[in-house]
Amino acid sequence: MLTIENLSVSYGSVQALRDVSLTVPPGRVTAVIGANGAGKSTLMRTLAGLVRPRSGTVHMNGEDITGMSPEDIVRRGVALVPEGRSTIPDLTVGENLRLGGLWRTSAQRNASESRVFALFPILAERRSMRADTLSGGERQQLAIGRALMCGPQALLLDEPSLGLAPLIVTQILELVERLARESGMAVLLVEQNAATALRVAKTGIVLNLGQIVMSGRAADIASDEQLRHAYLGY
Amino acid sequence: MRDLMLRAPGSRFAIHAAVTVAIWAVLTWLNGSIEPQLSYYLALAAMYATAMFGMTILVGLSGQVSLGNGALMAVGGYVFALTSMKWSTVPIIGVPWNAVWSMVFAGLGGVIAGVLIGALGARLRGPYLAGLTLGIAVGIPTIVNRFPALLGGDEGLKLIVPYPEGGYPEAISQQEAAEQVPADDAFLDEFLVEELPADSATSAPADSGDLLTPEEAVSGVESGDLLTPEEAVSGVPTDAPTDAATDTALVVDVPADGVDAAAAVGSDFVLQQWQASVAIAVACIVGFLAINLVSGRQGRVWQAVRDDPVAAAVVGIAPAGAKVSAFVVSSLFAALAGAVLAQILTFVGAGAFGLGLSLSLLVGVVLGGRMSLAGAAIGAVLLVWLPELVDTVSGDRGWPDQITNNAPNLLYGLLVVVVVLLAPGGIMGAVSGGWARVRPQRARETR
Amino acid sequence: MDTFVNFFLGGFANGAVIALMALALVLVWRSSRVVNFAQVGQAMFTSFVGLTVVDLTGSWILGLVIAIAAGAVLGLIIHFLVMRPVRRADSSGAIIATFGVLIALQALAAMIWGGDPRAYPTPVSYSGITVFGRVIAITPYDIFVIVAMVILVLILTIVLTRTKLGLSMRASAFNPEVARLSGVRVSRMLAAGWIIAGMVGAVAGVLVAPTATLSPNSFDIFLVFAFTAAVIGGLDSLVGAVTFGIGTGLLLSLVTGYSDASNAALVALILLALNLWFKPEGAFNHHKARSV
Ligand SMILES: Nc1ncnc2c1ncn2[C@@H]1O[C@H](COP(=O)(O)OP(=O)(O)O)[C@@H](O)[C@H]1O
Ligand SMILES: [Mg+2]
Repeated sequence: MLTIENLSVSYGSVQALRDVSLTVPPGRVTAVIGANGAGKSTLMRTLAGLVRPRSGTVHMNGEDITGMSPEDIVRRGVALVPEGRSTIPDLTVGENLRLGGLWRTSAQRNASESRVFALFPILAERRSMRADTLSGGERQQLAIGRALMCGPQALLLDEPSLGLAPLIVTQILELVERLARESGMAVLLVEQNAATALRVAKTGIVLNLGQIVMSGRAADIASDEQLRHAYLGY
Repeated sequence: MRDLMLRAPGSRFAIHAAVTVAIWAVLTWLNGSIEPQLSYYLALAAMYATAMFGMTILVGLSGQVSLGNGALMAVGGYVFALTSMKWSTVPIIGVPWNAVWSMVFAGLGGVIAGVLIGALGARLRGPYLAGLTLGIAVGIPTIVNRFPALLGGDEGLKLIVPYPEGGYPEAISQQEAAEQVPADDAFLDEFLVEELPADSATSAPADSGDLLTPEEAVSGVESGDLLTPEEAVSGVPTDAPTDAATDTALVVDVPADGVDAAAAVGSDFVLQQWQASVAIAVACIVGFLAINLVSGRQGRVWQAVRDDPVAAAVVGIAPAGAKVSAFVVSSLFAALAGAVLAQILTFVGAGAFGLGLSLSLLVGVVLGGRMSLAGAAIGAVLLVWLPELVDTVSGDRGWPDQITNNAPNLLYGLLVVVVVLLAPGGIMGAVSGGWARVRPQRARETR
Repeated sequence: MDTFVNFFLGGFANGAVIALMALALVLVWRSSRVVNFAQVGQAMFTSFVGLTVVDLTGSWILGLVIAIAAGAVLGLIIHFLVMRPVRRADSSGAIIATFGVLIALQALAAMIWGGDPRAYPTPVSYSGITVFGRVIAITPYDIFVIVAMVILVLILTIVLTRTKLGLSMRASAFNPEVARLSGVRVSRMLAAGWIIAGMVGAVAGVLVAPTATLSPNSFDIFLVFAFTAAVIGGLDSLVGAVTFGIGTGLLLSLVTGYSDASNAALVALILLALNLWFKPEGAFNHHKARSV
């Protein structure tokens, strides 16, 4: 279980996160929604160790991982699929996947690989092709596959729907939801598009200007019209 | 009130002029009151400063790390030597030739070379530019081997410095000198330039494409010290620097050793002091140009383009134009410095203008402080003084030559690294309170 | 025709060495985005180390092994002491620092071993082979050099494409962030790049030393050749470095053969300038050379 307490992050004088507290429980999807610039990516990057928080703590399964390097955090079971292009186009599909688990034993790696190929069969077909030959949806599957190769107990997804057709988004998110349910993984899903995210998420938070303005059950957030108007703009 | 005055362009110009004249006066007084030996070092320092003012602009302000300036000095040096050797009247205009004309043409040669190199170099990112100019530093000097008849090949060209008779410092201009000299006295009418005979310089141990160091190219003597041009000629650390050149000179009736010359002419005229006075004058003129460029609009344009070409373009500055102009200015300065070096060495040769010289310029400007002209001047003094310091220290301790001769370069290399790591503003930056003030902190060139 | 063939064959051995030196430049560039202008200085220094070992033990191969080890150590030292701390400074700083290292290494070598050119022995004969009663320009040593280069390139290829280390290094070069998120210790991969480049450069130095004589400055010109080859190949591309390293060697060998050796630097410069003018990104590259 990933526990975040009073997390604050600044870039120079710009405060991107203010006192954010959140628990990401295993076995389901937790959504983080908010307008562009709300601080969603900052939250995810801080959890993964790419950004150092100014104050606050992050615990993974009871261990304090605040301020650790990304390499160490991923070894403690937290894997991030960053926003945008997060595959390496110069490597093959197989290499992109292998990259995700280089530090694990080969048995662990093989097990993860079969699971990823079962989840995303297209990756098995394309494993020896360069990643830049994949379509946008396939590339997002590869990015998620690479993160799953790390054998995470908490999976952080930063706007996986970006630039993808709605049908494909739905497919991918439903897969992720099933994955969380079946494997007991904690999933933290960032979306600008609240409707999609709230469909697969059990609970969620709404970020605005770096602060949590609402948290609760996804259904409640989805039905709160005032909130939608104020922070989500639809 | 004072601030306002300083900001007005006219008064800034006047202040710069006053400061320059003051510096010139002090240096000239110094030159007149020290040993000829020290005048020689003064000349070298002024020559380095001239070239390094250009490095401040190119490497510091416009952020283009270039190693080509040694080769550009070669352009100036050879143009100076050739024009003074070949021409007795100025082409087209027809007026009689003198040293000032040679300086003008040397500068012109530098500008042309600067435009050519700048047109290519200004389009390139850092490491590519550094590599290209490295190629220039290594490749251009080998051109002399293509035109041995004209450029003297490996042996280079020997030239006679046109110093006036009648005593220093009274006689300053060529004209005065000419008036006081009998017309048949050939060397005072014009500088004599003669090619060295092939046997007068030790020939290089191998063909020069084969990795010759500058020193070897000229002298065939052990390499190592990349920073003292006079050693490039003689291969020996020289105490009376012009002696070495004299040894190989064919010009019999003119003792190139200044002290002897003074004795011969029967006055207090000293060659080294004359050379220093030329070097000081050129350095002051170039320094005056540089300070006005740097502290004016152009200086801000260069820095704006260095820090953020895109943002500069948005406010109407052409980044490519700014970068090329930095090249042109720095190669003008380099060529003038090269012409001065030719007069100090009374010699031009590929070995004197090799990669070692280019590296010295970079070392000097980095150590002194690559963001300020004062840093360039400090660096110039350092380039001349550090080897002497090492010499003294090692003399006291009785170190072997192999250590002594290479210690300055080891120090330079290590100091450059230390400065880059700990004090990017160099000595000047450290003195004036650091990098931060000279230069806005921002991350550039993230890939 | 005969002479052309001779020059051409001789060029292969030259090209092999330039290719290795270019490979070293590319390995460092890929890991650190720094052109290591000190690379030939390192190679010169390790060649002197190798020569010292040969002098002491009489074993050429031991000299090579120790030189390679010294290359690894030197690469690691420079990475940790100079290049890793300098990355925080501006981009000019990194370039200048490599030149500082070059100057220091050359001075140190001159202090230890003197400035006089030294002869480096060869493991096999360095005189022309006689074929059908005629002496041709290619020597057993040339063939040795070419074979050594091919073996080294094969080893490198296997390491980079077939091992965990290679995959980690490539991923770190292409996208450090994704590599870190995958658990790759990217800073160690930078060090690995410097170590491997130092070893490759050391081999290049030992191979070229017998043909060029060894002195503190004698490899300077190879920096120009190797940089030219690496840039034409695209700086990022190992294949490009090898291809154009050999190509540059062949061209320079023809130039040297038909005119004289002092033209080589100028021809390399012209080649480099033309390439930077017309195709600054190189032949095998996705990276930008131009700034404006
Ligand atoms: N690297 C950065 N440097 C400075 N400011 C940043 C940086 N990244 C994000 N920000 C700022 O932090 C705020 C939050 O950004 P981000 O976390 O990317 O928001 P979101 O992902 O919700 O769109 C924004 O105001 C953004 O401008
Ligand atoms: Mg975002």
